Amino acid sequence: MSEKLLEVTDLHAGVEGKEILKGLSLSVGKGEVHVILGPNGSGKSTLMNVIMGHPKYEVTSGSISFEGEDLLGLKTYERARKGLFLSFQNPEEIPGITVENMIRTSKQMITGERVKLIPFRKELKAMMAELQIKPEYAGRYLNVGFSGGEKKRNEILQLLMLNPKLALLDETDSGLDVDAVRVVSEGVAKFHNENNSCLIITHNTRILEDLNVDRVHVLMGGRIVEEGGPELVNEINENGFARILEAQAK
Amino acid sequence: MDKKEQEAFAHKEELRQEFKKKTYIEDIERTIYDVKDADNSIYKTQEGLTEEVVRDISARKHDPQWMLDFRLKSLAIYNSMALPTWGPSLDDLDMDNIITYVQPNAKMTGNWKEVPEDIKNTFDRLGIPEAEQKESLAGVGAQYDSEVVYHSIQESLVKQGVVYTDMETAIRDYEDIVKEYFMTLVPPKDHKFAALHGAVWSGGSFVYVPAGVHVKIPLQSYFRLNAAGAGQFEHTLIIVEPGASLHFIEGCSAPKYNVTNLHAGCVELFVKEGARLRYSTIENWSRNMMNLNTKRALVEKDGIIEWVSGSFGSHVSCLYPCSILHGENAKCEFTGVTFAAKGQDLDTGASVIMTAPHTSANINTRTISKDGGKATYRSAVKVTRRAPDAKCSVNCESLMLDNKSRSDTLPVMDIEGDRADIGHEAKIGRISDEAIFYLTSRGIDEDEARAMIVRGFVEPIAKELPLEYAVEMNNLVNIELEGTMG
Amino acid sequence: MNNDLTVFSRIPMRTWRWLGVNEARVAGPIPEKQENESLLVEAGKTEEYILTRRAGAQQNVDIRIEDGAKLHLVNIQLVPTDETATSRVKVTVGKDAEFRYTVVEAGASQAMSELDVNLAGNDSKADIWGLYFSDGSRKVDLNYTIRQAGRRTDANMQVRGAMLDTSEKIFRGTLDFIEGAKGSVGRENEEVILLSPGVRNRSVPIMLSHEDDVDGHHAVSVGRMDEDKLFYLMSRGLDLPNAQRLIVEASFNPVLDRIPDEALKQEVDEYLQGRLANHE
Repeated sequence: MSEKLLEVTDLHAGVEGKEILKGLSLSVGKGEVHVILGPNGSGKSTLMNVIMGHPKYEVTSGSISFEGEDLLGLKTYERARKGLFLSFQNPEEIPGITVENMIRTSKQMITGERVKLIPFRKELKAMMAELQIKPEYAGRYLNVGFSGGEKKRNEILQLLMLNPKLALLDETDSGLDVDAVRVVSEGVAKFHNENNSCLIITHNTRILEDLNVDRVHVLMGGRIVEEGGPELVNEINENGFARILEAQAK
Repeated sequence: MDKKEQEAFAHKEELRQEFKKKTYIEDIERTIYDVKDADNSIYKTQEGLTEEVVRDISARKHDPQWMLDFRLKSLAIYNSMALPTWGPSLDDLDMDNIITYVQPNAKMTGNWKEVPEDIKNTFDRLGIPEAEQKESLAGVGAQYDSEVVYHSIQESLVKQGVVYTDMETAIRDYEDIVKEYFMTLVPPKDHKFAALHGAVWSGGSFVYVPAGVHVKIPLQSYFRLNAAGAGQFEHTLIIVEPGASLHFIEGCSAPKYNVTNLHAGCVELFVKEGARLRYSTIENWSRNMMNLNTKRALVEKDGIIEWVSGSFGSHVSCLYPCSILHGENAKCEFTGVTFAAKGQDLDTGASVIMTAPHTSANINTRTISKDGGKATYRSAVKVTRRAPDAKCSVNCESLMLDNKSRSDTLPVMDIEGDRADIGHEAKIGRISDEAIFYLTSRGIDEDEARAMIVRGFVEPIAKELPLEYAVEMNNLVNIELEGTMG
Repeated sequence: MNNDLTVFSRIPMRTWRWLGVNEARVAGPIPEKQENESLLVEAGKTEEYILTRRAGAQQNVDIRIEDGAKLHLVNIQLVPTDETATSRVKVTVGKDAEFRYTVVEAGASQAMSELDVNLAGNDSKADIWGLYFSDGSRKVDLNYTIRQAGRRTDANMQVRGAMLDTSEKIFRGTLDFIEGAKGSVGRENEEVILLSPGVRNRSVPIMLSHEDDVDGHHAVSVGRMDEDKLFYLMSRGLDLPNAQRLIVEASFNPVLDRIPDEALKQEVDEYLQGRLANHE
C-alpha cells in the first residue's frame, strides 16, 4: 500500500447524543480512489461531515489523522487549509457572495498566497467552460437559484480550483441527468492524479468509470462491514446489499 | 515543525490576515467620524424653543416676511401637537436643551479654498471634496451645523439651467419656486417634528433640473453637525421637471457628545411627468443623535423615484421615506439597509401611497441587529380606489447576530378596490450554522465567514450605491462587526 | 361598556394612527349575551371541541392545554348579518402540547375576533387555520397573536379570505418570539381574494423577535384572481362567475377540510356558496 493520507481509527461519533458512527475504521493512501457504499441512514454523510469537522457532530472516541497529523483538534477551516475538501450533498445557498469572490477568497486563505485577479479570472473562466458552466455564473451569488446540477458542477469547479490533497465527494452525482453526471465524472477524473486522493460516496457507477477504484468499503450501521476491490461495486450494483445484510444478520 | 516551517507558517498567517483586510477594501476607522472640532461658531440661539428664538433665526437669515409668517405658524402648530404615540421612546429628547440654530464662522462660498481651515479639515477627513475633484460628482454642497458653507456645480450644468444651491440663496434668487413648493409635501401639521422643522429650519439644498435635462453624474450634499447639544434642521427641496433625471446623494455624520443632538431635517422631492430621481443616503450620525427625519416624494405620470437608504448611526432614528405615486404608471423603488448596534433604536422603513392607475412599487430592505441593538422595520402600503391595477411587492429580511438584540417587523397594507396585486414577504433569523460550515470547509475562518455572510446580506443594497458609498457602507459594516464575532 | 367605538383589541406594537389598525373598535353596542367557555385538556389527552355561533354574542373562551395534550378547537361563526359577534380566545399550551384551531368567520355585521395563543412549553405547537368571508357592508376585524416562549416551538398561522361588495376587513397576525425561544419556527401566511371594486382590505403581518435562534417567515398576498387560473377554467367551459367560485372554493378548502363534522362542514360550504352566488 502507498503512503497513508487519511487514517480513521475506531471512530465513534454522533449528533445530539445519538451515536451514528460506531467504531469505524478506514484508511486511504496517497493517490488512491476509495468508494463508500451503504444503504440510506448507514452514516455515510455523517462520516464526511465528521472528517471535515462539522461542529454539529460530536466525536466521542477514536481518531482521524491526515498525513500522520491528528485532525480532531483542528477547526474546519484549518482542515481545509491542510488539504481536505468536501463536495456537499446539498450545497448551501449564500446570497450576496459571488462564486468568483468565494473561490478567490478560499484560494488565498488555503494557500496563504496572493491570488492575482487577472490570471485567476482566466483560470476560472477556462475551468467553467470545461465544466459547461455559463461564464455569467462567476458573478452570481453562491448557489442561489442554481439547479441541482448547477450546484454540483459548482462544487466540482471549486474542487478543481482549490486542488486539495483529499476530495470527499458526498453523492456529488446524485439527482443529476445523464449529461450532468458525465460532466461531473469527467471533472473528478480531471482532478485526480497520483498525488491526491478521493473518498467517494455514490449510488451511481457512472462516476467510477473514469476513475480507477482502489478500494470499496461497505458502511452499515455506523461501521465498515465489508471491504474489497472494484468488483464489489458491480456486485452491489446488481444484487444490492442483500448478501451483506444476511452475513451481518449471522 | 522545525524553525523554518514555523516561520513559513507564521508568514502565511500574516498574509491571510492581510487578505482579510484587503477584502474589506480599505479600512477606515470610526474615529474619523468622531473627531470634534473646537466650537468656533459665531452665534447660537439660546437653548429651547420660543417665539423669540424663531424670530431671531428668521431675522439673522434675512427671511422674507412670508417665511417669517410660515415659521411662526409652524411654531404654533408645534406647540399644539402631542408627541407620537408609536415608535421608539423619545424620552432622551429635551427640547428645552436643544440649540436650534448654530451659525458657523464661515460664509457660503463656491471656492473650497475660502472655507475656513478647521471646517475644511473636517470635510477633508471625511473625503468630501475629493470625490468632486475626481469628477465623480457633478456638484457638491457642504453644511456645517446650521449653515451651508460650500456649494459648487459644474459649469456645463449651469448652462443647461440646472440649479444647485443652498436654500437661503434659493429663497433670494428663486423665491417664486420655493414659495410654490416649500413644505407643501410635508406640511408642518404632518407631525410634531415637521412643525418644529417649519419653525427653525436652516440650511439644506435646493435643486432644480429643467425639463429634459439629464444630470449624468450625481450631486452630493454632506451634512455635518459639530456643535454639542445642537439641532440640525436642513431642508432639501428638489424639483425634477418633465423628462429630466438626477441622482442626488446625501451623507451625514457628527462627532459623539454626551448630550443629545437632534436632527429633524426635511426632504421634499417633486418628480414630474416622465422624470427620474434617485435619492441615496448614507446616514452615520453619532450615537447621541435623535434622527427624526421626514422625506417625501411626489411622483407624476411615468415618473420614477428610487430611494437608496443606509442607516448606521444615531441613538434613535425614525425614518420612513414616503412616495406618493400620483400619476399613472408612476414607480417607486426603495432599497434600504439598517444596522442597529449597542444603544441604538433604529426604526426605519418606507411608505408608499398609490393614487393613480398602473402605479407600481418595490420595497426591498435588510436589517441587522447586534449587541443589544433594536431594529424595527415599519412600513405602509396604501392603494386607494383611484389606483386600479396597482402593483406592489415588499421583501424585508432581518438578521439577528445575538439574542440580546431585538428585531421587529410591522408592515401595514391598506388596499381599496379589487384590482391591486400586492405581495409581501418577510423573514427573520440568524446566520445559519450550515452556511458557516460551508465557508469554513473552504478554508475561510469563522470570523471571516460570518463577515462575508453579513456583507452578502447587505450586498443587494450595496450594489445600488455609487462605488465610494458602497465602500463606505462596507467599512461601516466591518467596523460594526469587528471584534464582536465568534 | 356599551358605548360607541369600544376598543375591543389592540396590536402588541403600535404604528401610524392614520392607518387605523392599532385598535379594533366595535361600532355600537357589544351584544349583551355572553357565551363563555373554559376548557382544560389534561396532560397527555387528545380532545376535539366544536363551537358554533348562530346569534350575535360575546364569546369568551379560555383554554389550557397541559403537557403532552392535544386540542383541536373548531369555531364556526354563522351569525345573521345584522348582528354583532365578538370572540376572544385565549390559549396556553404546555410542554409537547399542541393547539389546532380551525376558525370560520362567515357572518355577522361586525365580526370581531381576538386570538391569543401562548406557546409556553418547550416543543409546543400551534397550527391555526382561519377563514373569513365578507360581503355587503360587513366588517371583519381579526387580531391573532402567537407568543413563542418555549424552546423549539412551532407556530403556523394560515388565513384565507375573500371579500365582496363594500365590505371591510382588517387582519392582524403577530408572531412574537420571546427571548429564550431557541430553535423555534414561525410561519404566517394570508391570502386574500378581492372580488368587488368597493372592498377595503387591511393586512398587518407583524413579527417581533427577541431571540436570534429562530426562523420566522411571513407572507401576504392580496389581489384579484389569478388570471391564468381563470383562463384555464374558462377554457374548460366554465363561465366567469363559476370559475371565480371554484377558485375561491379552492382557497377555502384547506380550512373547510379541517371541520370534522361532515354536516357542519356542508352547512358552512353551502352558506358560503350561497353568499357567493348572491353576488353575481
